[in-house]
This record gives sequence, structure tokens and C-alpha cells, in this order.
Amino acid sequence: MADTRSIWEKLGFRKASGVGEAGWGHTLFAAIISLIYFLPVLIIILTSFKLQTEALAVPPKLLPTTLFGLIPEQYVFSPTLENFTSVFSRAYVAGGAAESTGFDRFFFNSIFIASTSVLLALVIGTLAAYGFSRYALKGNDTYLFIILTTRMLPAIVVIIPVILMFRISGLSGSYLGIILLYTAFNLPFTIWMMKSFFDELSPDVEDAARLDGSSEIKVFRKICLPQVLAGLAATFVFGLILTWNEFLFALLLTGVDTRTVPVAMNQAVGGGGIGVLWGLLAAIETLFLIPVFLVTFFLQDHLLRGVTFGTVKR
Amino acid sequence: MSWQYKLTSFAGAAAVATMMSGTFLTPATAEEIVLKMAVPDWPPTRIMKDMFDKQYKAPSGNTVKLDIDFIPWPDYYTRLNASLTSGEQKYNMAVSDSQWLGAFVEGGYYKKLNEFIDADPGLKAAMDDMHPAPLNAYATYPHKTQNYYGFPQFPDVLVTFARKDILCNEEEQKNFQAKFSKKLPCAPEELDDMDWEMFENIGQFFQRKKGENLAGKPADDDFYGIAYQAGKGYDFSSMQINGFIWQYGGNTWDETQAPKGQAEGVVNSPEAVKALDHYLKLIQYMPPVAKTGTMDIFKSDELFREGKVALNIDWIGLGEASLNPETSKVSDKIAFGLMPGLRGADGKIIRWSNIGGQPFVLMTWNTDAQTKEALDFVKWWLSKPVQTEYASKGGQSAMKSVYSDPAYVTFRPWNRAWAPSLDWQKDVWHVPQFFELLTQQQDQFDLAITGKQDGKTTLDNVAKFQQNLLSEAGLIAP
Amino acid sequence: MTSVALSPPAPDFKTIAPDNWKLAIAVGLVVSVLATLILPANAAFWVVGAMAAMVAASFVVNAYRRHYYGGLLVSPAIAVLFVMNIFPLLWSLGLSFFAYQSNQQTIRFVGLRNYQQLLTNDLKAPELWANLTNTALFVVLTVTAQMIVGFLLAVLFAKQFPLRKYLLILVLTPMMLSVVAVGVFFSYYYDPTFGLLSQVIKAWGGEQFILMSSKTGAVAGIVFADAWMWSPFVMLLVLAGLVSVPKYLYEAAAIDRVSGWRRFWTITFPYIRGLLMLALLFRTIEAFKMADLVILLTKGGNDTMTISYHVIRIANEQNKTSEGAALSYLLLFVVIVLTNLYLYIANRRSQGA
Repeated sequence: MADTRSIWEKLGFRKASGVGEAGWGHTLFAAIISLIYFLPVLIIILTSFKLQTEALAVPPKLLPTTLFGLIPEQYVFSPTLENFTSVFSRAYVAGGAAESTGFDRFFFNSIFIASTSVLLALVIGTLAAYGFSRYALKGNDTYLFIILTTRMLPAIVVIIPVILMFRISGLSGSYLGIILLYTAFNLPFTIWMMKSFFDELSPDVEDAARLDGSSEIKVFRKICLPQVLAGLAATFVFGLILTWNEFLFALLLTGVDTRTVPVAMNQAVGGGGIGVLWGLLAAIETLFLIPVFLVTFFLQDHLLRGVTFGTVKR
Repeated sequence: MSWQYKLTSFAGAAAVATMMSGTFLTPATAEEIVLKMAVPDWPPTRIMKDMFDKQYKAPSGNTVKLDIDFIPWPDYYTRLNASLTSGEQKYNMAVSDSQWLGAFVEGGYYKKLNEFIDADPGLKAAMDDMHPAPLNAYATYPHKTQNYYGFPQFPDVLVTFARKDILCNEEEQKNFQAKFSKKLPCAPEELDDMDWEMFENIGQFFQRKKGENLAGKPADDDFYGIAYQAGKGYDFSSMQINGFIWQYGGNTWDETQAPKGQAEGVVNSPEAVKALDHYLKLIQYMPPVAKTGTMDIFKSDELFREGKVALNIDWIGLGEASLNPETSKVSDKIAFGLMPGLRGADGKIIRWSNIGGQPFVLMTWNTDAQTKEALDFVKWWLSKPVQTEYASKGGQSAMKSVYSDPAYVTFRPWNRAWAPSLDWQKDVWHVPQFFELLTQQQDQFDLAITGKQDGKTTLDNVAKFQQNLLSEAGLIAP
Repeated sequence: MTSVALSPPAPDFKTIAPDNWKLAIAVGLVVSVLATLILPANAAFWVVGAMAAMVAASFVVNAYRRHYYGGLLVSPAIAVLFVMNIFPLLWSLGLSFFAYQSNQQTIRFVGLRNYQQLLTNDLKAPELWANLTNTALFVVLTVTAQMIVGFLLAVLFAKQFPLRKYLLILVLTPMMLSVVAVGVFFSYYYDPTFGLLSQVIKAWGGEQFILMSSKTGAVAGIVFADAWMWSPFVMLLVLAGLVSVPKYLYEAAAIDRVSGWRRFWTITFPYIRGLLMLALLFRTIEAFKMADLVILLTKGGNDTMTISYHVIRIANEQNKTSEGAALSYLLLFVVIVLTNLYLYIANRRSQGA
């Protein structure tokens, strides 16, 4: 579909025709609230540019610049990129040579495990959702309720048996194990979300296609799926946010090679014969935030539309 | 390049590499042995890895690789425990906290080492050279028997970290003398001679608000005299409190007396209560975070490195960060002394303290070849030149021949406190119930530290719990 | 749907046929339970696995023979959920009737003793009760805070305004952070010496502020951090409801001069009720799991121990697998009762409306 909005409208600098309801006054108000809300994150990001000895300064060093003399010198720190290089390579022994920290691997693992499991859940869950939505199964509601219930259970309840199961089946420390586990955690949400999308579609088009002799697979692929792309995007983002930062299972079930960033992050917390390495921790978190931040940002239109579409029955 | 091509070329390269390594690179007799090892991620283990990679040549002629899994301290136990109990048999060796011995020996994971030590004169000599306190703490289970399960990797004790720029300041010296009629300790020898009373005086003396005079300058922030661990996590109050209890002549439940030794009446003896009350009393002079029950060994160290306290009692293992200007604001202003103790009737200081540090252990599922290489590695590690070099790089050694060398005290400023401390080290329980005992005790101590109950109630609760648990486990006879 | 007429009749329950899924389930369940009770854990695992595979196969054959495309489509999801979720749950239910520690080799059937101990033992029962009360306190406070903050934020962003997209992503960021970083940095914000909170209060002429020194302060600190992190989740769901209200309804209301309050209840609320309920349900369930922030901020000190943290201690640190499982099931029972209560109330409300 051709987008007729101008670049300014797309960027949000000018009201798109017809939907504008509030002006810059509201923007100012919302900006103040948003910035206050964002402040704890901003401090983390700023800390990533501070040296260890500056991170806990009293009074706090707030900004990297005096803002043309607006801020007194004592609140200003000189920014450094050292923490960011330290994430990937640093000397573990005082005076020793810098060595790789393995964080490139951990970042890969996080991205690989989270995206694979969320995508897998999306594929399996969408099929199931289509099944639930289009075919009257015996005890349909019961299945759906059980699926929703597994999502309702606190993860802590399954920790013990999952560890035991992984231990016996040898899945412990493998990509397959943790991916399947995360897939299962994402499934209920995916099914619930996608089912409500399929429920919203008009069956007339599909029936017409069936009368024309299209196979069931073709109806699904050519007619239903294109209509729920927004929903797929929304579900992906929700799943990604929830999987990205999972800590407990990752700690107990990943091995050296499959370790994810949230687990490795603890290197900077009470690790190397020192308490918290504030700058390093902040740098890891900042880097770790970027992928999921970008994905959310670029899909946030879908996210809003998706949820709307899927959950509100009209 | 298509993926098929990539795949074939990769397979081809792999095949060639395998053939080459099989035919040309490896001598016919030598094997490659990999030792997988779980260790906490901190300098004492990083230095070890560094020295191994650069120097170690296996006497057997095999190529020995040390494949080390560095795990952050906060998660170390959880991870090691999960790996061992899951039966995945992933590690051949580990650096284990000494108190975990019981749980993991009883679980059948840690290998008994007596036969290997007896069979190897070199290893035997190294073990005989050990100071008995660390040897008992790191190697024996049941505690203080002749059953060996570990070799010291990094031995550790509590010492006093001191700000000499503050303590030696003339004005402060004069005012302190005027107030308490005694000399404010400044030289390392004077720090060594510090008892808890002096420690308390210093706590009272240095309670400066921001802007008040501190060593001739206005303090840039609130400043405090003293700090030690008072945190709820792991063992971050027990390790200090145990020292107090032993110094007062009280005792923890003594596993070497099992099953006759009791918990009730011992753990909550009047001496122990007095000791705990003394420990609690000093907390009022410490930085305010002590009142929240989160001042663990890292927090008090951080306060010291940020220049907020004059004295801190902490592990040597955390000392390196104080000396490093990148992590410490006071790196050039520090002196070290023995941990304070209780002055006895004869004027001498009683210094009992809880030992820290970790031993190496070997796993029961290792192959004979792995066991042999692991023992050779340990023997190399416990040889005098290696131990001396390790100490010079910031490690410690429990071997008499190493630490009694005159050069030893020159390696690090705290080393002068090392040998005199060793005679005063004891350790807590090594029984499999260690974690239950510790968790409950830490919970109770936290209630006392945050002012929710008094010392007597605290120790009564601890004693009652221990009596109950240990009786059920058969470690206390009815 | 369209082709059911051609399918062969379903096999009788007692017939042994590859598509007799009812029989397969019955046999599978009996064999699985027996295997779990009798065989050692690693043998039982494979027996139960084989049974699950058998049931799954019978479903697939059945679905295929009768053209139940629905069943075919649903089966992979059910299979993954069964293996990774339902099966471990049944396993831990079984374990809770045994005396078993993961670092010991022995296992012994003790019936309901673990449950009985947790509920009646004079050391364990008060602990359980205290942890449950704390958990309830956190659930009520965090969920309430998240609902209110989330709702207000959603109202703020419901309108279209310039730069909305960029401000919205700022508010969404907290829930993308790792809980480790959030916990560690909030402990810094709350620190009496270095912390920003204490310094701000000091700069305004107050005393050094020790937030975490009392239970009230510690609970407030934990609740604040948790609510800050997860209010955006509520916001997103509510916002979705708000933006879906058709504009003509508001225009009509404006013509009829309906008051703001009434407009909210009659027009807006029906569109967000379902989503509010959903957010409430999701956040409540999450709040029951609260452990990470407690561990990072107080280590359970100042009487902030939650049941979820307690389970971690028992099952992980102390390796008391069976006791941990029993405790988990007591918690599970509470959660299921509560969620059913929720759903029951929600259903009655929506029927009544």
C-alpha cells in the first residue's frame, strides 16, 4: 500500500492528516513525564561513559558537558569509551595483557537463542492459533485454557523438574534445550494473540477461495497470513522482550558456549575481586539494550495496531 | 559462494586438518589431555591461568590443556552445584569454597586424594609444608581428620585496610590523644596492635559530617571511622561474627566433636552472646548502609576505595583493587595490619578469625590419565618457585617455605600480616548441611544487625535451629 | 470443517488401533504414573517420553484419517508444551511425594509428609506463612502501582501529538532492561552514601537518607523498582484499547454534551476493560514470581523474603528437591485459585454488563 504521508509526517514532526488531536503543548508535557520516567535508564547509559572512580562520585557527576557553562564543573565528567572496549576485551590480571572476554559470543548467543525461540514459537503458535480459530475441535476451550494456564504458572514451579529433565536427556548446556524451553514459554502468549487475530478475519473471502478450488494450505498462506502480518510483528516484539532478559533458566541451563548476556553480565557484579564495576556493567547493559530497543522502535506502530486488532472484539 | 560449496570446502579443510594433526604434528607417544575446571572469576584464578598458559609443561610429555570455565562469583555456587548434582560430569577439577567440601564429598563428586598424596613424595612434601590451619580448612573432611579432598589454591584471611593519610595526620593524632589518652595507630606495627576497643574509639572519633574538618581539610562528604562486613548475603556477617565468638572463648557448633558436641548451650553460650553484642555495638559507628543489612564484603570495600572510611576489615583477596588507581581513590594512601582482636588479661591480643580462601578439588569421574595430569598440575602449582611467583603477582601461599622467605613480605603491603594471622585461623562447618546452617544463621544475624532483635534472642534461635537440624541429621546424638 | 462427512468412524475405545487416541492417553497415563513411581528417574524419563510420543502419534494418525486439520495444526504446539511445561509439572508433582535431594543418591516415598511438614512443622510453617504474606503484600502493591501508573501513562499517550513515537519508546525502555542491571543500579540509587535519592534529599537540606533500613522502606524500594520496570507493559495494553475507541463515538458524545466522567465509563471503559483485566492477570502472575529484585536489593532482609526466593534457596542452594517441589505446588495452588477467582469475577462482570 502506498504511503502518501510526507517524510515530516512519518517522522512525527507534523500531524498526519485526520489523526492529529493534540499539539506541541501536549508534547511538552509528555516529554517532561517521559524524560523523568526514562531518567534511571539515562543514568545507566551515562554511567557507561564514566571511569570506575567517577561512577560513585559524591556529589554525582551528572553530565559529560557543562552545557555551555550552565552546569558547575563538579557535576561534569569526562566521557570515555574504555568501558565499551572492556566489554569485549580487557586485562583480567593487573598489568596483564588484554584478552577476549567472550562477550561477542554471549551477544551472539542472546540474539540467536532469543530470536530463534521467538520465531519458532511464532511458527508453531500461528499454526496452532489458526487451527483453534478455524476448526472446531472437541474440547477446544479446554485445550485453550490449559495452554493459557501453563503461561499463568510461575516459572519457578517448573525449575526443578526442568533441571532434572535436562540432566537426564542431556539437553543441559545445549542450544536446543534452552531454545525449546523458551519456545514453550512463548507459545501460550503467541497462540492467544494470533488466535484473536485470525478470529477477526472475515471468513467470506476464504470460503470463496475454497469454492474456487484452493487447497487449505493455499487459503492459509495466500489469504489469511498476509492479513495478520501486523500481528506477527507485534507478537514477535512482545516475545522478544520477555525472552531477551530471561535470567534464571539461562543461569542454570546454559553452558560455557551457550551462555547468554544476562548471565555473563554478572562478571561486572561482584566479580573480579572487586564489587560492582559500574561503568562496565552500564556498558554491557547499554549495548544489550540496543538490539531490542531498535526492534521495538521500528515495530512499534505494528505493536500498537497489533494489540488493538487482536484483543478487542467489536 | 553457495552454501553447498562452503560446506564441502569446510569439510575438506577439516579432514585435511585432522589428517595433518594425526600424521605430522603429534608425536606418537604423547596424548592431548584436557582438564575442564570450574573456577570463580577473579584475579587469583586469572593469574593462575595466565601462569599455566605461559609456563606449564607436563612432565609426562602429554599436551595438557586447562579448559577453565570462569564463572562470576555471585553465581558460582549455583552454577557449580547445578553442574555437579545434575550428573553431567562436565568438570574434572574445580576451585571450591572450603565449606562446600562436606556436601559434595557426600554427594560423591569430590575425589579422595590420600592414596595419591601417599604415593607421591613430592606432593607429600608439599602437603607437609602447609600451615595446618589452611590445610585443615581446605583439605580435610570430616574436618581435621586425615582424609584429604583438596589442595590450597588461594588461601585468604581477614586483614585491616587503613587510611594512613588520615590516621597519621598530626592534628588528628593530637585530638585523638586528647580525647582518649592514647595514641591513634598510624604505623603498620601500631595497626597490628589494635584491639576492638581501639577500633571502636576510632569509630567514635571519625564521625565527620560533610564540611567538618578531616585531616586538616573540610570533608567532601560524610566520613566514618570503621567498617566491616554486616550483610545478609552468603556468609557476609558470619565470617566476622565467628571471629568475635572465638575470641570471647565461645564456640560455634564443633563438627569435630560430633555426635557428642551440642549446639544448644554452646552456640548461645553467654560468651557467644557477649561476643555478638560486641560485634553489633560497633555497627553504630559504621557508614549508614550497615543499618540496611546490605553492607557485604564488596560494599565495605567500595566505601573504603571511595574514601568514605578510615578502617575496613576485609579479605586479602579484595586488596588488589584498593591499590589500583583505576579502581581506587585512595590507592596511594593505604596501610595494612592484622585484624583487630580482643585484648586478654595478659595484655596480649586474642585474634581468632575465620579463614577464607579456596582449595582445588578433583572429581570422582576423572579418567586415570586425567587424574594423573591433574595431580602433576597441582604438584607444579604447589612447588616453591611457582608459589613464590604467584604470591609476587598478588596471590597468597599457605606453604611455610614460601611465606617465611624474607622477600615474601615485600610483594604486597598486606603480606606482613599474612604469617602472623595464619596461627589464629579457624573454619566453620564443612558438613553437608552447611548451606542450611549458614542461611538460617545469616537470616538471624541480619535481624540483629538491622536492630530487630537482640543478640541473645538471635543466638537462641540459631542454637535451637541447629540443634534440631543436626539432631535430625544424626550429627548430634540425642 | 468442510470435509468431515468423508471421514471414517472413530474406533471403539477398546480397539487397538493407531488412531485410538483415547486408549493411548489412558494407557500412557497409567504407564507413566507407574513408571514414575517405580522406576529410577532416568529410566522413568524415557518410558514417559515414549508414552508421550505414542499419544502424540495416535493424535496425528487420528487427525489425518478424519481430516481434522485443526488437530494437525495444533499438535506441534501441544507437543512442545507437553514436553517442556506440562511434563515437568507432573514430574515435580510426583517428586513432591518423595524424600529426595539432588546431591544424594537415595529416594524414598513419603506420601504427603513434605506438605504436612511445610504446613505444620513449627519451624517451617511460620516461615511459609511469613513468606506468603510478604508475597501477597508485593503482589497487591506492585500490581496496583503498575495498573495506576500504566493507565495514566496510556492516557498521556492516547492522543496523537508531535514526537509521540519518540517519547513513547523512552517510556517503553525500562521493561527491556535486564533485571540484574535494574536491581544493581536501584541499589545504587537507594544507597545512603552514594545514592542519588539520599543526595537529593540531603541537597534539599535533609539528613542522610537510609531508605532500606526499615521494612516499609525496603518494600517501598522494591515495589518502586518493579513498578517502574513493568508499568510500560500495562501501558501498552491499555493504550491499545484507548486508541481503538472509534472517534465517532466521542464526537457523538460531544454533541450530546456527555460529562467527561460518564464519557469515560460508557465509551472508553468498555474498550479497555478486557485489556485491563488481562494486564491485571498477567502482572499478578508475574508478581507471584518476584525473586530477582528482592535478591538484588535486600537479599530478603528487613522481612522481604518472598516465597519464590524461598523456593530458590531450598531447591537450589540446599538441594532439597522434594521440599522445593512441595512448596512450589502449594504456591501453584494459591495462584490457580486466585486466577480462577479473577476469571470468574471477570466473566460475571462482562455477562452482567
